[in-house]
Amino acid sequence: MDHTYNLGDVLMMRYVIIPAIVLIGIVSTVLSHASYRETFEKEFMLSPWAIAKGEVSACIQCHTSDNMEPRIHQHVLEWRGSWHAKNNVSCHDCHGGAPEDASMSMMHQRGFKGAPKDIEIPGFCGTCHIAIQENYIKSGHGKTFISTGEGPSCVTCHGSHNIQQASMDIINEQLCSQCHTYERAKEMKQALFLVENKLNTIAKDLKRLKLFGIGTDMQEKAFFRNHAEFRALFHSIDVDAVRAKSNDFVQKLAIIEKEIDDSYKQLAYRRNFSAYLFLLFVGLSIVALLLSKTYEQKQDLK
Amino acid sequence: MWGKIVHWIEVRIGLEELINKHLRQFKTPKGATFWSTLGFVTLIAFILQAVTGIMLLLYYIPHPEHAFKSVQTITNEIPYGWLFRLIHNVGGNIIVAVIIIHMVHVFLRVSYKKPREITWVTGVLMFLLVLLACITGQLLPWHQTGFWQTTVTSTIPAFLPFIGEGISSYMRGGESVTGITLSRFFSFHVVILPVFIVGLMLLHALLIRRQGLSTSPTIEPDVDIAQQKKFSRYDHLEGQPCFPHFSLKRLFMVLIYFSVVFSVMTFFPNLFLPPESNIQADPITTPESIRPAWYFLAPYQLIKTIPNDIMGISLIVIFSVFLIFWPFFDTRDTERNIRKRPLLLSLALIILALWTILTIWGMYS
Repeated sequence: MDHTYNLGDVLMMRYVIIPAIVLIGIVSTVLSHASYRETFEKEFMLSPWAIAKGEVSACIQCHTSDNMEPRIHQHVLEWRGSWHAKNNVSCHDCHGGAPEDASMSMMHQRGFKGAPKDIEIPGFCGTCHIAIQENYIKSGHGKTFISTGEGPSCVTCHGSHNIQQASMDIINEQLCSQCHTYERAKEMKQALFLVENKLNTIAKDLKRLKLFGIGTDMQEKAFFRNHAEFRALFHSIDVDAVRAKSNDFVQKLAIIEKEIDDSYKQLAYRRNFSAYLFLLFVGLSIVALLLSKTYEQKQDLK
Repeated sequence: MWGKIVHWIEVRIGLEELINKHLRQFKTPKGATFWSTLGFVTLIAFILQAVTGIMLLLYYIPHPEHAFKSVQTITNEIPYGWLFRLIHNVGGNIIVAVIIIHMVHVFLRVSYKKPREITWVTGVLMFLLVLLACITGQLLPWHQTGFWQTTVTSTIPAFLPFIGEGISSYMRGGESVTGITLSRFFSFHVVILPVFIVGLMLLHALLIRRQGLSTSPTIEPDVDIAQQKKFSRYDHLEGQPCFPHFSLKRLFMVLIYFSVVFSVMTFFPNLFLPPESNIQADPITTPESIRPAWYFLAPYQLIKTIPNDIMGISLIVIFSVFLIFWPFFDTRDTERNIRKRPLLLSLALIILALWTILTIWGMYS
């Protein structure tokens, strides 16, 4: 009789492991109350970071409830698809209030501002977009709006809840011709076109380089600075000034383009170096295989 | 000059005797194929991970505010830092694949039977420790992928009754993944786990050296050391010398391993570095999809699919226990040729098929 086998067989399998497994099974069945999905959602959806994102906030819960008019529901739906939502800018960031506390959420003591009156809109958006507000106030659009209370405010062109990332597409015949002819706006668009194109290309390149693990922090900062300054030009309606400044931007962006070009060269070098090592090891493995086969044949002959 | 150096060494350590005794005269079984070298390939892969890991350690800073930046510095500013980082990243995934193939080969050859039970147990324990090393390693660069993968992975043990919350809390060092988790994972990844892995590796290698490589049940069916009452090593006098015959097979497979690593680095450099791995960890921004690494997709999908959460995690625990102690369960039938054991073969194939299906399902769910 083999004692080692008896010990392993009897102790491990029959009297320890199998009863332990059965016990785990019974305990798990008896103790389970919530499904994995519920626990998962509890872990993630009710966690502090989810509240910070604004998805679980008193504003959204109330404004999407059945008691509200469909028009109010629309605000939330539009916001969810907006550039603000993508960048974690939630209701309370603009309208104030306390989203974590339903009973106090709309109290003025908690900083609730509600919806602004028309004349208050530039100041309302300017809370965050400070430089753009200054630029707008100096522009023809801004001057007209401030002095008469009529004309285009921020929401006329950008919308209120369905705000998208600002681009040259906002300058279009349909929108501009609501107030005036499109001729001058078209000239503006043409003047901005070259820089806008460069900015779009740089943004795509930086994104692509980042995917390949290239550090683009410096270039991103320079890009963001230029991008923001360039966007400020959009509110001016002085075509000559825009043309003159566009040249400055082309020169500044050329520095970033050069750095991007260097990064692409670095990526190509990495790929080529890896390919060289790959081919080297494939070659060496073929040599090792042939040697191995030769020795095997020699062994067989013996 | 070369002769003098060799003589100098020979006088002191008896190099020739060592080579003759342990390489030239040491015979491996006739049925030792390229598949039989996978354990050695794993050893070399582990050494590669250790070497590249040490290179990364020279510049890495295990602090939430500096970890991501330090890894970016390694990748973009340190000369050839990208090479060490990519080899470590890709190698960390390929080593898991090699171990899985090695285990499947050993299982299908039924090589775990007497007297190799402890060799199997140490092997499976090493595999589990390597998986732990992967879990702890993925948090260290402090990027979005690692941060959220760790959040998910450290949630899974919480489903275990009584001890689950404790395990999760111990893994994280608190309620959520923080700087404490980073320091804890760093200690485990660079010191604690490697020490245990090396210890088990030495025991594993010692046992293989004592017992010799297992024979192929189809090529050498008559070699049955399982029936022996006392320990004795079968000398395989008809087999191949370890050097150069079997060593060349090992060399070939090691070179193939390197070729696979470099082919991934050339053609799919981002295979194991999704877009979120280039963004610093942000506890307030949850990525659109959080998935564990490919080797955890099957258990992850299993837990997601089974509606009873404790049952899901229990199944994984039961499977792991069975896997570790499998030689002690399979003791009745002494037959080692798996073709003559349809039940065992079916079990192996069903588990492999289920694992593959759950992995693919987890990838696309």
